[in-house]
Amino acid sequence: MASFFAWLESTRVALAVRDTLLLNAGLSGVHLIGFALTTGGALVANLNLLGVLFPGRPPIEVTRPASRGIALGLLISGATGVFLFAPRATAASVNGIFQLKMALLVTAVLFHVFVHRRVARATRHVHLSGPSAVAWSQTTQRATAIVGLLLWTGLALSGCAFILLE
Amino acid sequence: MSIHPFLEWLEATPVGVMIKESAWGFPITVAVHIMGIMLSVGTLVWFDLRLLGVSMTGYRASLMYKRLAPWMVTGFAVMFVTGLMLVTAYATAAYSNLYFRIKVSAMVVAAINAFVYHRYTERRIALWDESAAPPKGARVAGLLSICVWATVIVAGRIMSYTMF
Repeated sequence: MASFFAWLESTRVALAVRDTLLLNAGLSGVHLIGFALTTGGALVANLNLLGVLFPGRPPIEVTRPASRGIALGLLISGATGVFLFAPRATAASVNGIFQLKMALLVTAVLFHVFVHRRVARATRHVHLSGPSAVAWSQTTQRATAIVGLLLWTGLALSGCAFILLE
Repeated sequence: MSIHPFLEWLEATPVGVMIKESAWGFPITVAVHIMGIMLSVGTLVWFDLRLLGVSMTGYRASLMYKRLAPWMVTGFAVMFVTGLMLVTAYATAAYSNLYFRIKVSAMVVAAINAFVYHRYTERRIALWDESAAPPKGARVAGLLSICVWATVIVAGRIMSYTMF
């Protein structure tokens, strides 16, 4: 892996990013735009699942467009992230904060895809199953939203920490 | 009259000194500033997309604004306070930085855009509140908002690379 990172650092793209201040800074700005789109989508989806934004409407109505926003944001921040990673591949790969950021990113995305969306979808017709099912469903929704908010907030904080303490 | 004595005075204030000289003052303030941007712009973009008729079209525009506004306002308040603190600490360098000027100009455009939307376009919201395709004025406001806030973010990042 070390030889791959060394090769990555020696590529033309990595050298251009490393040596061109405005390119590096501009990529970092676009990376942040993508990240704002992702965290905004995650925030809206989780606050809604928590029952804060649009109570009384099926959560999936918000989760679906928010997921598209999260995906678009990840596409933007992922594409720019690769270019930002290339010139500092070796140092970043052994950086604890960067490793934490990546671990939180993977966990947050997997949690959103496999837990959040399922919970949001499952609550659609729950009112037909009786009051106890509704109460259980609300508890599940709130717990899912809190875990989601913690994961995305942790990701944002680790991203900030990496920028500042790198 | 030169503005530089004022900028130097700002840097010498307790807030300016604290951010500049303490080990954690700068990184913590910047981190909170970025979190404020995430919260404000991250939620604002959903209202802008609704104005554009691109997303969340099943929800009334006024309801979207009402529900998202507290989060946007909180984010903007955090962003402005921490932004002012950072400018206080590096007032002279910021003042002469091109990207700082671009960032502030974009924020002024964003404020004018918001004022025009609330003062004029929103007045007749009852006519298009539930419409999936809001009128031209609303769509322009949404698009302009996305563009200027993207400019604020990019200029802000470039500023941090070119200022120190």
